[in-house]
Amino acid sequence: MEAALRAGAADDAIAVLRDSTPFGDASDALLARIAALARPARYDAGERIYSADDLADDLFVVVSGRVEHVFKPEVHAREAQKRVTRGGVFGWAGLLLGQTRRLATVSATEPTEVLRIETEALVKLLESEPLEGPRVMERFATMIQRDFAVPQSLLAQVRRLSGPLTEEMSSLSLTMYRVSLWLRSPRPYLMLIGFALFLGFWYLAVEVWKLPRFREMPGITAVVKEWFAKSPTYGLSLYTEEYYKHIIVSIWRVTQAFFLATILGVTFGLLLGWSRTFKEYVFPVFEMLRPIPILAWVPLAIVMFIATESAVVYLAFLASFFATALNTMLGVESIDESYIRAADCLGANQWQQFRHVILPGALPFIFTGLQISIGVSWFSLVAAEMVSGQYGLGYVINTSYVMVRYPTIVIGMVTLGMVGYATSALVRLAGDYLMEWRVRELALAER
Amino acid sequence: MRRPPAAATRGHIRIEDVVKIYDPAGAAVLAVDHCTLEIEPGEICMIVGPSGCGKTTLLNAIAGFHEITSGRIVMDGEVLCSTEQPQSTPGPDRIVVFQNGALFPWKSNLENVIFGPVMQGKLARKEAVDKGRAMMSDAGLSGVEHNYPGEVSSGMRRRVEIVRALMNDPKVLLLDEPYRALDSLTKSVMHEALLEIYYKNKVTIFFITHDLEEAIFLGHRVAIMTTRPCKPKKVLNVDIPHPRDYGVLTSKRFRELIEETNDAVHEEALKAFQAGEKEG
Repeated sequence: MEAALRAGAADDAIAVLRDSTPFGDASDALLARIAALARPARYDAGERIYSADDLADDLFVVVSGRVEHVFKPEVHAREAQKRVTRGGVFGWAGLLLGQTRRLATVSATEPTEVLRIETEALVKLLESEPLEGPRVMERFATMIQRDFAVPQSLLAQVRRLSGPLTEEMSSLSLTMYRVSLWLRSPRPYLMLIGFALFLGFWYLAVEVWKLPRFREMPGITAVVKEWFAKSPTYGLSLYTEEYYKHIIVSIWRVTQAFFLATILGVTFGLLLGWSRTFKEYVFPVFEMLRPIPILAWVPLAIVMFIATESAVVYLAFLASFFATALNTMLGVESIDESYIRAADCLGANQWQQFRHVILPGALPFIFTGLQISIGVSWFSLVAAEMVSGQYGLGYVINTSYVMVRYPTIVIGMVTLGMVGYATSALVRLAGDYLMEWRVRELALAER
Repeated sequence: MRRPPAAATRGHIRIEDVVKIYDPAGAAVLAVDHCTLEIEPGEICMIVGPSGCGKTTLLNAIAGFHEITSGRIVMDGEVLCSTEQPQSTPGPDRIVVFQNGALFPWKSNLENVIFGPVMQGKLARKEAVDKGRAMMSDAGLSGVEHNYPGEVSSGMRRRVEIVRALMNDPKVLLLDEPYRALDSLTKSVMHEALLEIYYKNKVTIFFITHDLEEAIFLGHRVAIMTTRPCKPKKVLNVDIPHPRDYGVLTSKRFRELIEETNDAVHEEALKAFQAGEKEG
């Protein structure tokens, strides 16, 4: 009997862990590793398992039987007494920050079998699991809150793992962690369904139902065929060098415009937000120029810049600049007065305040501005390329229209969409990298 | 019976005949009216009054965020502000702990804590880090040094903020309803934590609140303020000996003191309510 128990012990342990709240949805691999840490123990009815203020060096999972768990009065638990049965976990005080002693006294009320797991070994194991570790820890917090009804202040002390949410983890692995979370959520699959519906509608509307207005459009099969053709009818596909040249020219123009707009726009916006006098001089002019559509600038831009290249970049720059400057200014103005007062109290001089309070405080707004900025930069670039220029995706779209190459128009549009999406994702990544504090805050708020 | 701790010799504040008139739209509003109050070195002085009674105006004048109209505030013999020089310069000898907390969310807790000494160039970074860690662990904050403030509980954030203030060895801590936003359980833990920190550091504490129980539990003295204009209506010496713990709340003397002052506080709250409650 004893021998049989031992042989199946590992499986039993895994089964019990699976019944418990904290380990309930852990993967088999993780459960096996946790089970390897567990040591079985047996207590007679009435035997004391531990007393309050003992050293809290391991935690217990009940396999069978029943124990009585009594909090010491200092814990201020809503119900001091609690019965714990199979799958219940107790002895978790060691998981609280700065807590090394037992918070309760626990005795078996009938013959009881438990698994003992050393707290430090468990924490170390969970820390080595950047994906699952923190979730197990979160579930511990949930369990402590739900099953043990202890005050908030105690809950706040449940350790946060140095998993994805702490310093040891680089921003890259944090990003990877978020990607893997994303892949496990339904979101990517919904996204695929969305795309499928969109493309399906395109196909049906143009090629099957031949709806009015859609009839004249290039159909999806024609576009895809052209796009993937080794020798495309209209001269532009994934296999032609020309296609990449257009993309690279456009990207290069946007890059110049975007960086110039970022450097000048952020500086200008910071000045606007920082100095009231400067704002009074400049802001009205700024606000009057801002709503002028980029297309209205085209003639002047061509007059101002002899070379079409710089005229195109200038137009793309202009739109970006306004978006960045405005958001940066709003960012500075959004900073809570108490942060500046606190910096004053703590003896920071003007430059230190700028460097340590104004700049980081405005950063979330600045990056919102940059997201908009990269978008409008593409937007106005294409407008400019359609008017003048020799290469670029806007130029492709415009010339294809003039020369009645409809599938190529769509190839240009889709390419623009993809490249634009990629650049704004890059901006977002840069933002996450610079504002880790915010990424972590949002991650904790599960957004 | 005054019980300022014998050890403290600094942080003596005299508020002398201070008047503050706000004049936002030509309509002068008298916020503080000839207010005189003396705070002993190392004393916990609680300022109680309904929201908008003008008590924060007083704190802002000491901290150097606002001008006063007339009068004088003196700290350890040095005139902070007066009729002639109406605004004092904020500095690390008088540190404010704000109502909604002002830890920089973009800096880790430890970076926040060492901000003062590093900015002032008083400590090298490494020394500051060592001191910061030691003070944090003293305040029960080990383990959260590298977390951002947004990652820890609001109670912990308040403690980090107080540690950040104490790192500068201030003469006085100015607390502006720091526990207002906390739930009552966290609040009770925070009160004991504040006293614990206070017993170790013996700094003068100027503490604004509208909670009478909090005031009597923590303070050596409780100044109950009249509402707009603000001046002391009644100053209560709390003769319950320090160190105190939560047992005090159920003691007979505590109840007596509450009864003694409740009417005065209620009367002012009523006045404030009738005048229309405004923040200030």
